[in-house]
Amino acid sequence: MWVSSKPSLSDASALSFRSFLNPFQVPSHNSTSCNPSRSVTPIHCGLRELRERIDSVKNTQKITEAMKLVAAAKVRRAQEAVVNGRPFSETLVEVLYNINEQLQTEDVDVPLTKVRPVKKVCLVVVTGDRGLCGNFNNQLIKKAEARMAELRGLGLDYTVISVGKKGNTYFRRRPYIPVDKFLEGGSLPTAKEAQAIADDVFSFFVSEEVDKVELLYTKFVSLVKSDPVIHTLLPLSPKGEICDINGTCVDAAEDEFFRLTTREGKLTVERDVVRTQTVDFSPILQFEQDPVQILDALLPLYLNSQILRALQESLASELAARMSAMSSASDNASELKKSLSLVYNRQRQAKITGEILEIVAGANAQI
Amino acid sequence: MTLNLCVLTPNRIVWDSEVKEIILSTNSGQIGILPNHAPIATAVDIGILRIRLTDQWLTMALMGGFARIGNNEITVLVNDAEKGSDIDPQEAQQTLEVAEANLSKAEGKRQTIEANLALRRARTRVEALNMIS
Repeated sequence: MWVSSKPSLSDASALSFRSFLNPFQVPSHNSTSCNPSRSVTPIHCGLRELRERIDSVKNTQKITEAMKLVAAAKVRRAQEAVVNGRPFSETLVEVLYNINEQLQTEDVDVPLTKVRPVKKVCLVVVTGDRGLCGNFNNQLIKKAEARMAELRGLGLDYTVISVGKKGNTYFRRRPYIPVDKFLEGGSLPTAKEAQAIADDVFSFFVSEEVDKVELLYTKFVSLVKSDPVIHTLLPLSPKGEICDINGTCVDAAEDEFFRLTTREGKLTVERDVVRTQTVDFSPILQFEQDPVQILDALLPLYLNSQILRALQESLASELAARMSAMSSASDNASELKKSLSLVYNRQRQAKITGEILEIVAGANAQI
Repeated sequence: MTLNLCVLTPNRIVWDSEVKEIILSTNSGQIGILPNHAPIATAVDIGILRIRLTDQWLTMALMGGFARIGNNEITVLVNDAEKGSDIDPQEAQQTLEVAEANLSKAEGKRQTIEANLALRRARTRVEALNMIS
């Protein structure tokens, strides 16, 4: 019926069928275009072409499958990096807690904690280095755009520090967004990368060029879920951020980390929340310097570890996003392969039947 | 009495074993620490850490942080630490030259702060090297 109503379009529909051969599309799309009942007559593509398509889909599937496995292995590495950093962060939190206790009564004045009236905000945008990971990068850039619009609405000035290749290309194409620095993420975030960002942010803040620094990164929730978040990096609050007056820790002591495990042959993620034990300060402990100076030495360390943590979380989310994108791509590819080979087999059968009929007819005519 | 030293960076544990004596550069000058030292907390400057194992001295470049000493247990928290023997002499010297050039070129408060930090780090690495030879 469909064919007879638009007989002249049969060529065009064959073309459009070709463009549908994309393993990255949603399966429902493929199944309608490849539905043999509808596409049997209009597709004029030879057996060889079909075979080539099946082969190319197979190859694509192999690639996506491999990328998925690589991403899974990298998530594991990322998790190891987090575990390696834990002795440091635990001790740091413990010491910070203790010093805060001591400084509860004093009026501290540390450059990194100074709250100034905000005129200019620095946004540190952490994106990934590679694509093919679903909407991971777009999600974050959208969040950054929303934040920038918000700041514009408030009449505040802003500047961007972009970390990661994807963000860099995005901001380079948009010269109207003031970008201070383009940094590259690297395959596995280490203290060096965090240090580079921290140095930048530190000098920016201390020289009073900006009054607030915000970090935009993707928080890793689970393998299928990650949230873009905005985290205020500077000014650090020596009291509220670490521990409130009652000694209950708000942020730093809750050291969450993720662990990739296999359960019944499937990859799953466990998140642990570890509360750092805060040991009582030895009462005879002396400060070699002024407590304020010690806080001054500690806060950059804290700043660094915060940035490192954000980088690690961002990397983990990127890898997780890539894993799920690649696994759905492989699923789509196998579905497409299935429907294509169905069409192929039907055509092959039709061809054989046609040949047999011809032979029989010819033989009949001879007699 | 044995003294235990633990040097931690955000990436890894650089050192965690017994030592005889260390010399630490703090914000208020170098201090030597022997077993049974009084418990203190101190800020650690960008500078070198010297470690004595029985009769051999080792150097380490520390990139600023914090140290806690007490109960024959030294915990040093730093952004980065490099053993003197792991530093590439040529590379360190080059970094120092670049850092010096950058400081002379720096304009404005912000660049000066940045260049100064970089220069101090580079200088410390070279110092850690020279200590050995």
